[in-house]
Amino acid sequence: MTREEIYGKLNEVFQDVFDDEDITVNDATVAADVEGWDSLEHINLIVAVERCFGIKFTMGETTGLKNVGEMVDKIIAHLG
Amino acid sequence: MSLVSAAFLAFVAAALLLYYVLPKSIRLWVVLAASLAFAGFLGFYTLIFVLVSAVLCYVGGLLAGPSRKTAVRNVFTVITVVINLALLCAVKYYNVIGLASERLNLLFGATDKTNTFFLYAVPVGMSFYVLQTTGYILDCRWEKIAPEKNFFKVLLFSCYFPQLMSGPMNTYSALTEEFEKAKSVKFSLERISDGAVRVAWGFFKKLVIAERAAMPVNMIFADHATFTGWYVPLGVFFFAIQLYSDFSGCMDVVIGVSHMFGIELPENFNCPFFSKTVKEYWRRWHITLGAWLRDYLMYPILKSAPLIKLGDWSKAKLGKKRGKKVPTYVALLILWFAVGYWHGGLWNYVIGSGILHFIYIVLGMIFEPVSKKIRPKIKADKLYFRIFQSLRTFVLMLTGFVFFRSASIRDGVDMYAAIFRKGGAALNWANFTASGMNLANLIVLIVAVLVVLLVDAYKYRPSEDEPARSLIAALRSKGVVLLWAAFMLLLLATLIFGMYGLGYDSGSFIYARI
Repeated sequence: MTREEIYGKLNEVFQDVFDDEDITVNDATVAADVEGWDSLEHINLIVAVERCFGIKFTMGETTGLKNVGEMVDKIIAHLG
Repeated sequence: MSLVSAAFLAFVAAALLLYYVLPKSIRLWVVLAASLAFAGFLGFYTLIFVLVSAVLCYVGGLLAGPSRKTAVRNVFTVITVVINLALLCAVKYYNVIGLASERLNLLFGATDKTNTFFLYAVPVGMSFYVLQTTGYILDCRWEKIAPEKNFFKVLLFSCYFPQLMSGPMNTYSALTEEFEKAKSVKFSLERISDGAVRVAWGFFKKLVIAERAAMPVNMIFADHATFTGWYVPLGVFFFAIQLYSDFSGCMDVVIGVSHMFGIELPENFNCPFFSKTVKEYWRRWHITLGAWLRDYLMYPILKSAPLIKLGDWSKAKLGKKRGKKVPTYVALLILWFAVGYWHGGLWNYVIGSGILHFIYIVLGMIFEPVSKKIRPKIKADKLYFRIFQSLRTFVLMLTGFVFFRSASIRDGVDMYAAIFRKGGAALNWANFTASGMNLANLIVLIVAVLVVLLVDAYKYRPSEDEPARSLIAALRSKGVVLLWAAFMLLLLATLIFGMYGLGYDSGSFIYARI
């Protein structure tokens, strides 16, 4: 799966989790850029991303992601 | 040894001298020796427990590390984490264990319930370093870090002396990064000055404010059969001042001392009483405890299979929006129970520092959509509404402090009942000053609290994710003379108005007893 294809799916996940069809994310997007992305909603997002791509983030990855770019890097690594 | 004592200052001065005079290659050995000596000064059992905890942490990390099969790693992680936490519960909260504890005490030869082995064996600060070492084992299991092979590095992480008694809690990766940086830190007067001002600020908050505010608090909470009606909210109000000055003052001393060694520790407070909501308050008060519980307790619970299944079920039954909140509420309930229990193991802590806040936060989440709709209509961006939000949050915190300061849950409920009880002492100056709080003391307290409020107002940033502004850095940028003037002023104010010496137990911080 290419990075662009991952972003296509990821945007849908973000729009669904945060209930906002206008959300588009990129490598530099951080929690502060998305309304409602707080420490509680973070896990809902992680679980939704895991389901969408059929992967499982480790707890280290779950708590250590700095931005969406890092999340995409981890997704690519898990997809092998 | 107390953090606000001449002995501690002399200890720090001696450690600093050795740290900067001896070769850089043995610097961390100096810090380790100082840390073990400090643990020894705190008591024999504290030293023993620190060593046991470090060994457990070291072995647990190695066994939970990635070189074994997942099932084996899981078993060892569970065993070492459970032993670690069980030791905390068994030793620290022996009074909750009740009968079992009494029997244990009898086994150790105690003849009555008040003079017991476990009473004197409670190691200082263990609530902090046990969580920190537990975090290390879990980090190894989750492969956030590689298990450390050098035992002495783990030992230093477990017992680094400035944070040993009261935190702030740290992660292994963050603290060892600081230790590595410290190896090449050069002596600088600027660093020592910054640290000294921070330490003096902590002494000022503790000795001038906290000890003074404690006078009416002790009187009212000790005798709420007499001090009824308005005395109760007054007592709780003074307790909020006492607790904040005490704990944040303690953190100023800890962070200031560590800064002098070139080892930066995380901030634990970020102007909490300016918070708009209870949720925001807990991101500004005891920040490192909140971060620990979020990463090591709440996230694993929320990511567990049963909670994910519960989320699927609740979404199917209640709809997506409401349903996805259900597992969050369950995880929050467990989290806040843990917060309350950690504070003391008794029900007054579980309610006052835990469940009550869970209720406030969940209510805030439930009413968030309504609140969003109302805000534009009531011009919520105006200053008056902002002040109202902070005052509302402050009052909600006071409702929990009633239980936190009480001796038991029954005592806390009785404090509430005392508000409405008739026939107590009349609210007048003569009765109020029976606590020792005379006019001079009250004026000093008001002025000192205003100074703290002004400093917090300067440091405050609307987003809790942003670090607070540093007044020390601002003063230094205007010239080192201004910084030293601030230091001298704080020193003089503390020497003149501080409450210390005979008759005062200023040596003990509230959170060092947790």
